[in-house]
Order: sequence, then C-alpha cells, then structure tokens
Amino acid sequence: MADHNPDGDPTPRTLLRRVLDTADPRTPRRPRSARAGAQRALLETASSRRLSGQTKTIAKGRSRGARSIGRSAHVQARGHLEEQTPRTLLKNILLTAPESSILMPESVVKPVPAPQVVQPSRRESSRSSLELQLPELEPSTTLAPGLLAPGRRKQRLRLSMFQQGVDQGLPLSQEPQGNADASSLTSSLNLTFATPLQPQSVQRPGLARRPPARRAVDVGAFLQDLRDTSLAPPRPGKPAQFLAGEAEEVDAFALGFLSTSSGVSGEDEVEPLHNGVEEAEKKMKEEGVSVSEIEATGAQGPSRAEEPEGHTQVTEAEGSQGTAEAEGPGASSGDEDASSRAASPESASGTPESLQARRHHQFPEPAPPPGAAVLSSEPAEPLLVRCPPRPRTTGPRPRQDPHKAGLSHYVKLFSFFAKMPMERKALEMVEKCLDKYFQHLCDDLEVFAAHAGRKTVKPEDLELLMRRQGLVTDQVSLHVLVERHLPLEYRQLLIPCAYSGNSVFPAQ
Amino acid sequence: MALSTIVSQKKQIKRKAPRGFLKRVFKRQKPQLRLEKSGDLLVHLNCLLFVHRLAEESRTNACESKCRVINKEHVLAAAKVILKKSRG
Repeated sequence: MADHNPDGDPTPRTLLRRVLDTADPRTPRRPRSARAGAQRALLETASSRRLSGQTKTIAKGRSRGARSIGRSAHVQARGHLEEQTPRTLLKNILLTAPESSILMPESVVKPVPAPQVVQPSRRESSRSSLELQLPELEPSTTLAPGLLAPGRRKQRLRLSMFQQGVDQGLPLSQEPQGNADASSLTSSLNLTFATPLQPQSVQRPGLARRPPARRAVDVGAFLQDLRDTSLAPPRPGKPAQFLAGEAEEVDAFALGFLSTSSGVSGEDEVEPLHNGVEEAEKKMKEEGVSVSEIEATGAQGPSRAEEPEGHTQVTEAEGSQGTAEAEGPGASSGDEDASSRAASPESASGTPESLQARRHHQFPEPAPPPGAAVLSSEPAEPLLVRCPPRPRTTGPRPRQDPHKAGLSHYVKLFSFFAKMPMERKALEMVEKCLDKYFQHLCDDLEVFAAHAGRKTVKPEDLELLMRRQGLVTDQVSLHVLVERHLPLEYRQLLIPCAYSGNSVFPAQ
Repeated sequence: MALSTIVSQKKQIKRKAPRGFLKRVFKRQKPQLRLEKSGDLLVHLNCLLFVHRLAEESRTNACESKCRVINKEHVLAAAKVILKKSRG
C-alpha cells in the first residue's frame, strides 16, 4: 500500500492521472475495498498514503473526508463505458493511447465499447502487479494496437460527425465508416471536408503545401444566404465572353466544392451541389479559396461531370446576379460543359495566384458595362492634362510680408476687442500704431537692461516696464495679469509653481 | 464705400503668441540685445494689453461720435492717447 511509484519524471500522463485520482468524481460508487487497495498501490505517493488510510473507511461506507480517492479508483476500475463522462474518456485515453501519438488508418470503427471494456480489466490486472506506469502502458499498447485507433477514432468520429452535422445542418452521414476513414487520415479534427484532398495533393506535390481552407462552418451559412438572396432573375444582355470566362472558374470551383462536400457526406447530391456552387460563386469574389481543393476536385470533376454541371448551370442562374453575375446559363451552358472539363484541369494546373488574379480581373470587368469603362477613362485624361498648364503666379515674397503677417495677428485681436465693425483704413492705422509701439517697447527694454547692467532683457525688465505703463500696480500684480490674459500653457511657463519632488518650475 | 471697407469680425481668435515674430522684431530693432526665454511671452502680454486698451479707446471714441463703425480718426485719436500712456 505504501508503495509509490518513483516519479522521477512527471509526464503529462502522470499529471493527468494525478488530477483524475485526486479530484472528486461526481458519481460516488460503492466501494470495493480489495480492488481499491490493489489499485491504489499504483497511484501516487500522497494519494496512496491517503488511500491506505482510507481503505477501511471506504470499505465501510462514506468516509469523512470528501476526498474519496478510493472512489476514484473504483471509478477507474469499473471502466465506465456506459457513463462516458469526460473523466472516463480521459482515463481511457491515458490507458489506451501510446506515449507517442500514432495514427493508424483502419477501416473498421465498430466495436468501440467492447475493446474499452477489455482494457480496464487488463489494466487492473497489470496494476496489481505493482509495476511502473510505463510498463503498464506497454502491454496495453502491445496488446491492442488496433484498439488505439478505435479509442481515438471513436472520439474523432464523434467530433467529426458532430461537426458535419453542425456545419451542414443535415442529418448525420450514412457512412460513418467513410467519415471515420477520412477523419483518421487527417491529423486534426478540423479538416473534415479536406479528406479527399490528401490523395490529390500527393499527386500534385507542388500544391500540397497549401492548407485546405477551413470552410466548414462558413459553407452552410453562405449557401443559405446565397439561396435566400438569389431570388431575382439573372441579368440579361451580358456578353457571352465574360460569362464563359466566369463560367469556367465557376464550374471549376463548383466542381471542387461539390465533390468535396459530396465526398465527405454521401448524401443527396442536390443540396451539397447547390451549396457548393453557390458557395463557389460567392467565394470567388471574396477570397482565394484553397486551390488545392479545386484542383483536387478538378480531377474528380470529370468523373462527376454530368450531374454537377447540370446543377451548376441551374445554380449559376440562381445565384448569379449579385456576386458572380453569370447569366444566360442556357446559352453558355453548352460552352461551359465543353470548356469546364478542359478548364478544370487547366485551372488546376495553373498557379493559384493566377487563378485568383484572373478571377478578380474578370469580375470587376463585366460589372461596369464596357461603354462606361471607356467613358470613365475619358474624363480622367483631360483632368490630368489640365493640371500642369495651370498658371502659377507667385512672385517674390515681399520682405514685409512676415512682418505684416505677425502684425495682422494683433490687428485681428484689435478688431475682436473693439466689438464693432471697423473700416479697413482704421485697421491700417492700427498697424502703424503697432509698429510705433514696438519701437518704443524695444527702446525701453534696452534702457532698463542697461540700467541693470545687463545685455539681456529679463522678465524683471518687463515687469518694470509694465509698472511704468500703469498696467501693474500694487493692487494688480503681474501674475494677476498673466493669469487674466494668457492661456494656460504660457501661464505655466511664467508663474513659478511648486511641483512634486520639492521642485519649482520655472526656477526662481 | 463705407460698407465695402467694413471688415467683418471673427468671433474666434487665436490665443497663440507669435513668439517667432516677436523675437525677430526685437532682434531687428536691437541686435545687440538678447531676449530671455520667457521674455517674449511677457512682451506678448504687453502687446495684448496695449491692443486692448487701444481698442477700448477707439470704441469709446466711435461711440462718442455716434458712429456705428470705428473710423480711422477714432483710431488715430485713441492711438495718440494710448501711446503716450505706454511710453515707459
């Protein structure tokens, strides 16, 4: 009982175990003392110590300590497949999964509960042998390599199926095995729709790098929106050329999406086909869809040429106006059929960038009528022509200009203070007065500075000047005037104020 | 002539002091002297007060002569008085 496994290196597995063991299970179980004792020997030191102490109490019934670790052990012992709580699932993963993740592609998923039932029993037996955790796992791994995948695939299957159900809003697929295969092939749970890509990407290694876009969730909403909006009749009168150009790409995309969607879910082809086409049409304008999909499906396209094309034509007509502006499906259908098959492998072979560029080019082009395009170009030219020959009369700047500009500031202030309409001559008079004033000012300041024996005019000189002018009196100090007339920024510079850190700014 | 020469009044005025202009004027007048850092702000304050007084005086003159518009004569008379006052 007191044996404890030497946890030299705590692996995540051991940590998980610890968590599982120490935490309280929600469903208390009847204690099975013998098994609990045997199992606890394998658990951690702390838990094992506590368990040994609690064995008897658990055997009796509820122990006082809420931490019935024995219960957790029992829970483990049982191997609750019927319950399928996250705890049990985690434990099963711990037991069954090897140290390193292995993806074993297997075609059969079925007897998931059965192997899991087998596993806990094996686990118990192995545990009773008081071995380390690693050797504990090894027999399980060696015994059931094939059972790893089911344990994993089972959850994968669930998630993937759930995802599909959520994304498509359709009943679960009728081919869970196919899904399981697809999901097991992929290394992540997200790429449910990307499964047929891998064989294709292998054929075209240059495009394998491009990760398939996770359009899973967007598809359903997209398509439904497209369906809702695509009620208006298609626009007539468009040149067939644009249509053909667009149609190629539309078909390529449509085929891509159709095949992907249909490949993943072996269901009614009508809906996913429609969805795929509409989605393709919308997506072409918006963003670069994973071209690998298209190319991958392009290869499959010819195989499915008949049905998807027929549907694409119809859906093109439906969802054409707003986004793709493809129209006249009947007229160009014949061309599309012939061109799509040729186009899809061609587009597949083409670089993704060029495809996108072509797409973007071709979409804005048909949007404005060609006549309008010509017209738009015309007015742009005369504008460009007009600008340069505009005459520029900028003579030499008079020297007084900056002086006048500075004075004008005070002139404006004068008119503001006056609050009465003024004549222009009066303003010129004001300018003259200001000039005179400045001269007087400078002379006075010079005298004051010389009187103080300085060559620099200091603020004390200014204050003296103002005092002599009668602006500063004993009642009205300079600071009062500063506060009255100057904005805050200047007030801060002029009036010394105490700041934090025992400092005064400006320094006196 | 009267109407065309009347200048409209702007209600929003800049409160910024043309510090560069003031420094340049002082330097041009008295190149041998130097003006301290905050000195030009006080000079600006001085100018403000001068202009203020001048405007008040002109307004008074215009009101006394019962004119709706401030005339050149009003300003001239006001300037005489105020400049005498501002002489240090």
